[in-house]
Parts: sequence; C-alpha cells; structure tokens
Amino acid sequence: MRELVLIQPGRVLEGPSERESESSRAHREFEERLAECGPLAFRVAYGVLRHAADAEDVAQEALLKAYRNFGRLREPARFRGWLVRIAFRMALDRWRSVKRREKRETEGEHPEHRAAGPTAEELAVSSEFQARLGRAMEELPEKFRLVLLLSAIQGYTLEEVSEMLGIPMGTVKSRLFFARKQLAEKLR
Amino acid sequence: MSCEGYRDKLVDALASGEGSLGREVAGHLLLCAECKKFYEAQVHLFGAIDSGVRAMVDETVPLSLLPRVRARVAEADTPPRAWRLTWGFAAAAIAAALIVSVGLLMWKPDDANKFPDRSRVVAQDVRSAAAAMPKQLPQPIATAPKHAAANARLGRVPKETAPASEVLVLAEERAAFARFVSDLPEVGDVAVAYTRPAMDVDDEAVELALLQINELEVKPLESSNWQ
Repeated sequence: MRELVLIQPGRVLEGPSERESESSRAHREFEERLAECGPLAFRVAYGVLRHAADAEDVAQEALLKAYRNFGRLREPARFRGWLVRIAFRMALDRWRSVKRREKRETEGEHPEHRAAGPTAEELAVSSEFQARLGRAMEELPEKFRLVLLLSAIQGYTLEEVSEMLGIPMGTVKSRLFFARKQLAEKLR
Repeated sequence: MSCEGYRDKLVDALASGEGSLGREVAGHLLLCAECKKFYEAQVHLFGAIDSGVRAMVDETVPLSLLPRVRARVAEADTPPRAWRLTWGFAAAAIAAALIVSVGLLMWKPDDANKFPDRSRVVAQDVRSAAAAMPKQLPQPIATAPKHAAANARLGRVPKETAPASEVLVLAEERAAFARFVSDLPEVGDVAVAYTRPAMDVDDEAVELALLQINELEVKPLESSNWQ
C-alpha cells in the first residue's frame, strides 16, 4: 500500500531530534559568524571608545544580541551589517555615558586635585594629534563616522562596506569624502 | 581661478582619495609656491588622518573576547530551558490537583457499598452484638440481699460481671435504647454499647437489734485506805 506524505513549507518541527539538529545547525552557523565578525565588532567599538576593555564589553553585548536575533540574521552580509550597526550604536551609548560620568567627576573636583599636566604620552606629537583626531571624529555625524571606521578596518573594501551597510557604493564614497574633508578642516 | 579656488579643488581631490589632480590644478602648483606648500601640507594631513583612523580600529582583539562570548551564549541558552522545565512541572502538578478534586466531587458514598471497609465491619458487629444482647445477659449473682442493696445504692458492680463498657438505662427506656442500638449508623467507628437490665434492688427493711450491754460489775479499789 502506498503511503502519502503531506509536506508543508514552514511546518513546525516535529520530533525532538529534528529540533535538536536545527538547534545545533544554528549553533554551528553562529560559531562561523562569530569567528569572522567578533573582531569586526570589537574594532568598530574600539574606534568609538578607544578603550580596549570597554570595547570588549560592548562587542560581547552586541554579539550576544546578535545571537538572540540569529533566526532572522542567517544571511552573512545581513548579519555582519546588523552587528556592525548595533556595535557602533552601543559603543556610542557607552561613550556618552562615560563622558557624562567624566564630566560629573571633573565638576566635583577641586582645582588643586586636577592632574598637574599632560603625561609623557600626551606630550608626544603623534599622541597629541591622535587625541585631536579623536575629538574631531566625535564631532562627525554618526553616519560619516561609521563609514570612516569601517573603511579603515584592514581587509574591508568600499564594496564590502556598501554591502555591509546596505547602502549604494556612491553613498559610501560620498560619506567618506565628507568625513575626511570635515576632519581635515578641524585639524588644519 | 584664484588660489583659493585651486586649494578647494586640491582638498576635494585629496578627500575623495583619488590622489590624481586635474591638469589645470597640477599646472597651477608648478607656478604657485604657496599653493604647492599648501598642497604638501594637505597631503601630509590627509595621510595622518588615514593612519590615525586606521590606528583607532587596528587594536589587537583580546583573546578573551570569543571564549567570553561563547560562555555568555551558553548561559543564555540554559535559563529558558530551566524555565520551561519548571513550568512543565507546575502544569503537571496543577493537572494532578484538578483530577483529584474532580474525583472527590464525583465520588458518592453509595459507591462505598461495593467496597466493604473496616467501618462497615464494625457497624455489623454492633448490630449483631445488639441482637445477641438478651442471651448474653449475666445471671444474677448470689449475693446477700443486704449487701446487694447497699452495693446498688452506692453504684458498685460486682467484679465478675462488670463488662468493658456499660450503659445504664431506665427500665421504661430500655426498649427504645435497644432500637437505637440496632439502628446505629453504618458509617464510622462507633462504640459498642451493651444494654443490660438494671439490677433489681430489694428494698427490704433492715432489722436493727437493740444494743445490749452485759452487766457491769464494779469492784472497789485494792488500796482504799482512805476510810
């Protein structure tokens, strides 16, 4: 006797073994993304925060969030773009809270308790420029800043940045152009 | 075009990252030393910006990042399972409680007739004991009428005939009490009660003998020399 089987698209997973294999497949896929995108998330966060420990925390949170939303982020380019944006936004939030805290602490300090002067590193010309560059970047619009950071990360071309952010190549180039021009004006 | 215009074009070319200047701008740089100096400074500045931004993002990734993320992912996986398990147990407990309560509500005492239990056996024993009561009545004990009457007044019962429990019922209520015992409820433990007729009290008059005292002999004292 012939057996008829009804196959429905998007059906509910029936057996526990099927569910288990689906779960392990999702784990494996996430592990692949993690190895590729973990460093990217860290670098984006570090570009904003310029503090390794804070950047690591932010990258962790962003990756965990990505894991929780992994069901709709299976496509590699989509996952990478989502992760980059979320890491960038979380880093900005962290940076703002750090700045607020620093401001409160500075307001509470007495003038005699302030640091006597710049440290040895700060005296170095390169570090001074780096500090100025950092401040200038903080004043950039977020969309310019993100494109600038992503294009500076080694290994990512402008095409990849365009794909990652889901914006046209011309937009990436234009944002990069205005970002660099504004930085130059501030640092000149 | 003024030097300012040429400088704007220079900056735009550098900012776009193309690097190649137009023929007109390149010609101006050959003629204008100031603009050439400005151009060289801008090349240096854009180079510094590019290397500075790269330095910002080229920080070494900490080795602890991925293991920590994996640990967090494992943690994130665990709580929902435990949560589901706990709710599963709770649901099973509630279902069991509902089944038991419905069973208790549906249960009728009549159904118990199908399953004789201990309480029913006890009730049967009580009825049979009540039915057999007249045969088991103790025989009157041969006691002296006087002592028997005194014992009855004092509420004493002879040791040989005293049962474990005893109910004293008035003579006119004896028949009613016997019916009550025979109709004892079937369910529940009840005390086995015995009925027995009250002992006949013989109210004979007690004869009391008069006090008799023997004749008293009075003797004089031996050393009565007082006369």
